[in-house]
Amino acid sequence: MTTQSREHGPIVRDIRIDASPEVVFEVVSRPEHVREWWPDDAGFESVAGALGELVWRNTETGETTTVLMSVVEVDAPRLFSFRWCFQEPDRGGDSLLVTFELIPDDGGTLLRMTETGWREMGWEIAVLEEHYQDHIDGWNHYIPQLGAYVARLVATP
Amino acid sequence: MSATAVDDDLWSAIGDPTRRTMIDLLLREGNGTATSLSERLPVTRQAVSKHLAVLDRVGLVHASPAGRERHFQVDEAQLARAVAQLAAVGDAWDARLRRIKRLAEQIQQTQNTQNTNEGE
Repeated sequence: MTTQSREHGPIVRDIRIDASPEVVFEVVSRPEHVREWWPDDAGFESVAGALGELVWRNTETGETTTVLMSVVEVDAPRLFSFRWCFQEPDRGGDSLLVTFELIPDDGGTLLRMTETGWREMGWEIAVLEEHYQDHIDGWNHYIPQLGAYVARLVATP
Repeated sequence: MSATAVDDDLWSAIGDPTRRTMIDLLLREGNGTATSLSERLPVTRQAVSKHLAVLDRVGLVHASPAGRERHFQVDEAQLARAVAQLAAVGDAWDARLRRIKRLAEQIQQTQNTQNTNEGE
């Protein structure tokens, strides 16, 4: 049994999505979508260098935890990357870099997510998420809400 | 100390490359002392002792006094627990990507339906 390499190598994940790169790009890069698949709230401009935050809310206590992030690169509909989990205040020190790459694939999109950086911190966030878990297992909760904002998105040119 | 704090300590204990190498050496050889480990590592015996103390504190190794030096062994149950937690990070991304997929496909379907309706 080896304990090396796993946590210090990057996490790389590929997923095939039956949606155009333009749609997938919106979902991974716009806060109104990001808050549907990840934190309870997300505030950032989808512009390189923009500073933002991700917020988790404990539905029982109302307590919130805010994690700072900053947008690194925005190249629609090809690439979106951001940093989070900064070790030092004011977005200093080590951080995790998350990169979404979108490759057109026969009418759909091949989405590749790469997370590199200080793995220990990444795990602390995994623990945090576990404690603010509702949204992880609660995907079904969001399906009924989809209609309204999908309609809004489609109305947007 | 809360369960989370314990886990944080466990994680940072195993997050250090030197300590992971020490765990690998202990697993391979069954047990070891600060002296035997320092002979295999580019760090001093004192540094190894400090690392062993960190690993001991979170239960990843246990010491038994034998002869003049303490002999350390890996606690495999605790190690398995730590490794499972490492895997959890990847699992979290798998879950997020599945949600991204479902969300994007829902939006695409809605757009397709709208376009079809507009075309009629």
